[in-house]
Amino acid sequence: MTALSPLSVTLLVAVTVGLAAAILAWRERPEPGATWLAVLLAGQVWWATFLVFELEAATLPAKALWYDVQWLGVVVIPVGWLFFALAYTGYDRYVTPFSVAVVSIVPAATVAVAAAGDPGNLLAVDRVVRETAVGTFLDVVPGPLYYVIAGYTYLLGAVGSIPLIQLVRDDARPFRGQSAALLVGTAAPWGGSVAYLSGAIPIPGLDPTPLVFVISGVGYLLALSRFRLLTLAPAPRRRARQLVFEQLHDPVFVVGTEGLLVDLNESSAETFGVDRREAIGQSASAVVPKYDAVSGLDAEGDKPRAVPIVGRDGRRPYEATVRDVVDDHGRTTARVITYHDVGAYLGQQQRLNVLNRVFRHDVRTETNLIQGYAEQLRSDPTDERALSVIEKSAGRMLELSERTRTAGELFDPTEESESAPLTDVVDEAVAEARAVAPDARIEVGRVAAVPVPAVLEVVLGNLCTNAVGHNDADAPWMRIDAAVADGWVEVTVADDGPGIDPAEYDVLDRGTETPLRHGSGIGLWIVKWGVDHLGGRISFDEREPTGTIVTVCVPVDRSETPGADPDGEPPNLPLDDSATADESASLGPPPNAGR
Amino acid sequence: MANEPTKPSAPDGTAAQYRSHATPPDSGTLRQVAAFAAGAPFTALVAAVEVAVVTAALGVPLSTAPVAVGLVAFAVYAADHVADAEGDAGSTPARARIALRYADQLMVAAAVSYGSAVALAAGAGPAALALVLVPGAVWIGYATDWLPAAGAFVAPLDEISVPRLKDVFLLNSAAVALAWAVAVVAAPLAFAGVPVDSVGAPAVALLFAYVFARSFVDVEVPNVRDVAADAAQGVATLPVAYGVTGTRRILLGVDAVAAGLLAAAAATGGGWSPALVALGVGLAVSVTVTALAGRLRGAALGVAPDCSYLVAGAALLALAL
Repeated sequence: MTALSPLSVTLLVAVTVGLAAAILAWRERPEPGATWLAVLLAGQVWWATFLVFELEAATLPAKALWYDVQWLGVVVIPVGWLFFALAYTGYDRYVTPFSVAVVSIVPAATVAVAAAGDPGNLLAVDRVVRETAVGTFLDVVPGPLYYVIAGYTYLLGAVGSIPLIQLVRDDARPFRGQSAALLVGTAAPWGGSVAYLSGAIPIPGLDPTPLVFVISGVGYLLALSRFRLLTLAPAPRRRARQLVFEQLHDPVFVVGTEGLLVDLNESSAETFGVDRREAIGQSASAVVPKYDAVSGLDAEGDKPRAVPIVGRDGRRPYEATVRDVVDDHGRTTARVITYHDVGAYLGQQQRLNVLNRVFRHDVRTETNLIQGYAEQLRSDPTDERALSVIEKSAGRMLELSERTRTAGELFDPTEESESAPLTDVVDEAVAEARAVAPDARIEVGRVAAVPVPAVLEVVLGNLCTNAVGHNDADAPWMRIDAAVADGWVEVTVADDGPGIDPAEYDVLDRGTETPLRHGSGIGLWIVKWGVDHLGGRISFDEREPTGTIVTVCVPVDRSETPGADPDGEPPNLPLDDSATADESASLGPPPNAGR
Repeated sequence: MANEPTKPSAPDGTAAQYRSHATPPDSGTLRQVAAFAAGAPFTALVAAVEVAVVTAALGVPLSTAPVAVGLVAFAVYAADHVADAEGDAGSTPARARIALRYADQLMVAAAVSYGSAVALAAGAGPAALALVLVPGAVWIGYATDWLPAAGAFVAPLDEISVPRLKDVFLLNSAAVALAWAVAVVAAPLAFAGVPVDSVGAPAVALLFAYVFARSFVDVEVPNVRDVAADAAQGVATLPVAYGVTGTRRILLGVDAVAAGLLAAAAATGGGWSPALVALGVGLAVSVTVTALAGRLRGAALGVAPDCSYLVAGAALLALAL
């Protein structure tokens, strides 16, 4: 065995380091980029190994043979680099069999030409053996294909470096270290290649590129061990961030500076019944609910405010927040509008507020009444009126207690929402009314047989018992009708009673009570909470000559509707201006735009 | 007394708890080092000695082959110990613990070791390079799920089930023995750049068959110790299939064949050279170890077969000096 030249020894060090890094990279499969990094390093090892054979070969044909064999490693390196960079940085959607095949066309053609003995001198116009002070080289005069593959290599190298350069500026230190080590590992061979092609190397025939694979291999080994390359790859971050955007429970719209919709998440599409492919590129005012109202919010200072919007779950109050998307130069490139459903929160606030009033005012008033008449009974045990007042007062407290319990059960989050036929719900409500006022004349109009949420029974039960209970006529009259239109159930309860004090539903309108402005019980509140819970609306009208007409609109229960969209998607209704001005869109607007 | 000052207990005023003291050697650490050394490093040493003895037996100039084969052996066995650490916990608990705890470091060492071996081989020429790549390729088929995965790719409908080579009865040991035989006999020739013809094809073939037979025995003897773990993992070995006594008889038969091959090599090569005598001494040790299979316990049975090569190496040295 003859002694190896210093160049061969250097190349063998590169083989050692490169192969060790390739094995470690291969071991990390299926981590993103592991396979492609191993391919890249295997290409380097291949090139360096057969360059050793070329250097140690004694004859021109032998050197030419090993030179041609090296091409396989030469062309594999940029392909491995490109797909490693893409997979490692999370652009794995570009790493497909098709893209690999397309990118490999030029390299495969180059290898084919080399394997065929370089017909037409495409790779090398001339090959001569040069004796130099550092060894015997095959001095190659490059052919046209040589320059093509060289340019192609630089192109793939540059494209692959772009996502890695972005990582150098990343906040996370490990990723900065990884990308810096990788870029050093790649830049070193590039530098050698450029020096060779530009003629900067004084030794004819010496391509230093494989020699600097030593630096390259050390860089990759450093990245693999010190910076935990592959075991701590940034690839999942892109998908994780996308996943958060997509899976966020709140609907989110991204609106460009020109007022066009740039993106929206899955929740937006589902909640507001928007076709994502159709919506992107449209004017935001045509797609984003209440866009004109929310777009005026200041991204920095304005407090979010609740706006009622009709969506998949009916009419719900949403708190809209607006955030600017700012680029590295401080320029606003888009605005992110997020809708947060605050219905449950507002409902809880209202219930707390009303129940506070019930204890603070109603219970206290009744207790005072009972205490006062109890004193009177003590002085005159035969006072039947005092006894009657106490009994009535206690009855009202009992009723208040029952209704409070109903309110609590109505919004129990552990209870699953049930569905019931509208006819059964109406029958139940009417039965309750008959129990309260057996002499009442109750008419039931035409009732459509559609499924509705069972909670509606509580709403209608309260309305019907109020209609006949708070009625001073000798034979109270009430009528209930139910119609269905555009996915909404509209139930009307009319009575001939004295009518509801406007102050009562004025309080409902405002949504809050004060010590001076409050309702007289919690019956109407239960009705309102129930309707809000169902995403519906309620309206009050005076009836001629006397009485009240209460109209409740709630969405039909879609979960059990025969023939409903199999995906459970609400129907896509066209978004016209009127809809977006007030509400949009998985449901049409309720028939009666009341409270 | 909580407020009592600490009394100096030495003239320099220091109290006992503030003075430095030597930590006694940790017997656990020593055991770990011993367990590690008895694993891949020991196998690498045995491989290097084996190649050196065969180099002498072939009569070719000494080359970097023993070092390269030793590095390959270290790489392959260290990686295998890491890959099968959990499965080895029953048979070689100390080695398995090290493999689990230092898996990353062992893999780096194995990778650098294999890279060095390939570099040495590349420096020796294409034949040596091709040779060094063989054990690595066999190991990939032997220990990884590469073959089953390839089988599933070729026959996705499960028409053909391709098992891990490590799980195929007899073929598993034969594959390891073949890799050893190829590496040990061909490496001295390839690294020295000596063609087979100049040594003599019959002598090379007989030595190849001898090393194959001996390696088969060396692989199966430790399986006597691992019989319970292998049976639990579903790995088919001779002790699992034929019991300890049956295995001992079979392996003694193989040793007898090896003795015959050695005698034939001596007859073909014109007498008992010191190297062949050394191999004969090693074979005698192997027969002894095989006869004791099932009686030796623990780690001893794992290293005893391979010790025969060290004995052979020592014998060769003694004869040469």
